[in-house]
Amino acid sequence: MSAFAQKAPGSVNPYRPSPARITSIIDLTPMEKLFELRLIDDEAREAFTFDSGQFVELSLFGVGEAPISISSAPSKQGFIELCIRNSGDVTGAMHKKRCGDIVGLRGPFGRGFPFAEMKGHDILLVAGGLGIAPLKSLINHIHDDRHEFGNVTILYGSRTPAEVLFRDQFDMWKHREDFDLILTVDQPDDTWEGDVGLVTKLFDKIAVDPKSTYGAICGPPVMYKYVIAEMRKKAMDVDRIYVSFERRMKCGIGKCGHCGVGHQYACIDGPVFNFWEAMNLQEAI
Amino acid sequence: MFFRVIPKDVIPDLVRGLSEQYEVIGPVARGDAFVYAPVEDPADLRLDYDTTVLPAKRWFFPESEELMRFRVSDNAVVEEKFDTTPRVLFGLHPCDVNSLLLMDNVFLGDRPDPYYKARRDNTLIVGVSCMPTDLCFCDAWGTDETHWGFDIFLSDIGDGYYASIRSVMGAELVDRYVACRAITDADTQAFQERSAAFKAAFTNDVDTSQLPVLLDAKFDSDIWDKLGEKCLGCGACSVVCPTCYCFDVHDELEADQLHGTRVRTWDSCQFKQFAAVAHGQNFRDTRASRVKYRYYHKQWGYLSKFERVLCVGCGRCTRACKAQINPVRVVRALQTGVVE
Repeated sequence: MSAFAQKAPGSVNPYRPSPARITSIIDLTPMEKLFELRLIDDEAREAFTFDSGQFVELSLFGVGEAPISISSAPSKQGFIELCIRNSGDVTGAMHKKRCGDIVGLRGPFGRGFPFAEMKGHDILLVAGGLGIAPLKSLINHIHDDRHEFGNVTILYGSRTPAEVLFRDQFDMWKHREDFDLILTVDQPDDTWEGDVGLVTKLFDKIAVDPKSTYGAICGPPVMYKYVIAEMRKKAMDVDRIYVSFERRMKCGIGKCGHCGVGHQYACIDGPVFNFWEAMNLQEAI
Repeated sequence: MFFRVIPKDVIPDLVRGLSEQYEVIGPVARGDAFVYAPVEDPADLRLDYDTTVLPAKRWFFPESEELMRFRVSDNAVVEEKFDTTPRVLFGLHPCDVNSLLLMDNVFLGDRPDPYYKARRDNTLIVGVSCMPTDLCFCDAWGTDETHWGFDIFLSDIGDGYYASIRSVMGAELVDRYVACRAITDADTQAFQERSAAFKAAFTNDVDTSQLPVLLDAKFDSDIWDKLGEKCLGCGACSVVCPTCYCFDVHDELEADQLHGTRVRTWDSCQFKQFAAVAHGQNFRDTRASRVKYRYYHKQWGYLSKFERVLCVGCGRCTRACKAQINPVRVVRALQTGVVE
């Protein structure tokens, strides 16, 4: 008999994080920071491509991992930006990191927004709170390919003016004619010049061509059904409304089971679903 | 596939021969129960066992395993360990052979899991036929038979085993270690008769018709509230399940705080924190929703991806559950709308 040949393990380990250096940290609000990260290995950095809406697993050895959606645009290569709220062990530890520190990344994972399919259409983006993080990637990607799109409308709701993320960029964009940007807050202060009230109220102010508009929504779980109802009132198609879901995740590759949504997994089947898919997923919205 | 008849009295020779090159794992007695454990003496191997307490998954996907050792200062991986020990799992029933095929879909499909794969690639499977216990319902899912996923499958035909040889390794093992003979028509007749007796011996009637429809149509049914009231949330069903693959990952720091180990452990969707995210949001906050999810995923979620249900009817969860929640009763509740 031939001696039993032990089979060597494969060389690809999807659980092994790649080291990345923090190259910039911007305080956005007291709770959120924007981190710019660059993979240290030249080959890995050059090979790293992604779609808006995809996420990475941020890996801090000794603390753990957390799924974070990518905020920078795929059109900008060589780095990624992660907008991270200090809300748990991993994100809390990340907030203590300094520029130059090394962290781990796995990914990109999941299914993002259908950018190629969206081209040639009007775009209506609706964000609530931290939900702007993944949409920021899409917004900037559209910006870098602006001539490929029709009207682009962005509705963004926050609780207070202090919690508005990426405010510097949005303040600059207020006067741009190629982006209709409307910000709203629930609790204004004396300085607030934008709208007041829930993001759904802004639908009264916008015109939507239902035949040519793609929608994208990201925000707290409670927000989705109300925003979708407004989009449906505007007669937008269910399969042109895209939503991005947050779920607990460990592996990011469809194995650990934590991110189950109905009969799908958010990590591989999502996190971006169109509303036709989402309305067929139990406990999704 | 080709076939041989292996006399029962040469099985110890086969086990002894295998032990020269492999770690042999098989059903051995522990008190009144059976477990899959290393077979120290061929006489300990109990091919007449009913069901083991834990399934075979732990030999591929252990209850706790080190994924990698790390260094904190520069967030670097210091070492990855893969278990490539040559092993034979000797004596798996058809349900357990089938359960590994279901696990393979998850762990060896897209983005294969190298820890599972290293063990799977280095493990031979010898299956053995059984007779159903009063808890078994593998016939409901068609997992009472297996035609692949093993190197050798031994079907009891009285004095010997009607051996199906599925792999090159299986053929070499049989040639090398046991005196066996070619099958005759009478042997095949005996195999068929034994198979018929096996199929006739099942006592659990499970009506699996239209389950995916019922799971969605009765998603808001009060049967789930009633099951949720019974469930203790202990997760024993997941531990003993040969197809439950969910896991958790955590980091364990060494005393000097410079190094540590990333560890994965079995997890259960029956635990409260399983679907919880930051800010206190929990997508399955009630026991009812968690019991429902376990069945929804096994009978529909997994099916929608791999065209099989994620259950092999081994009856282990029926034995383990202190609240008498099990697939036979849950499927019946789905069919009738009544929780017995």
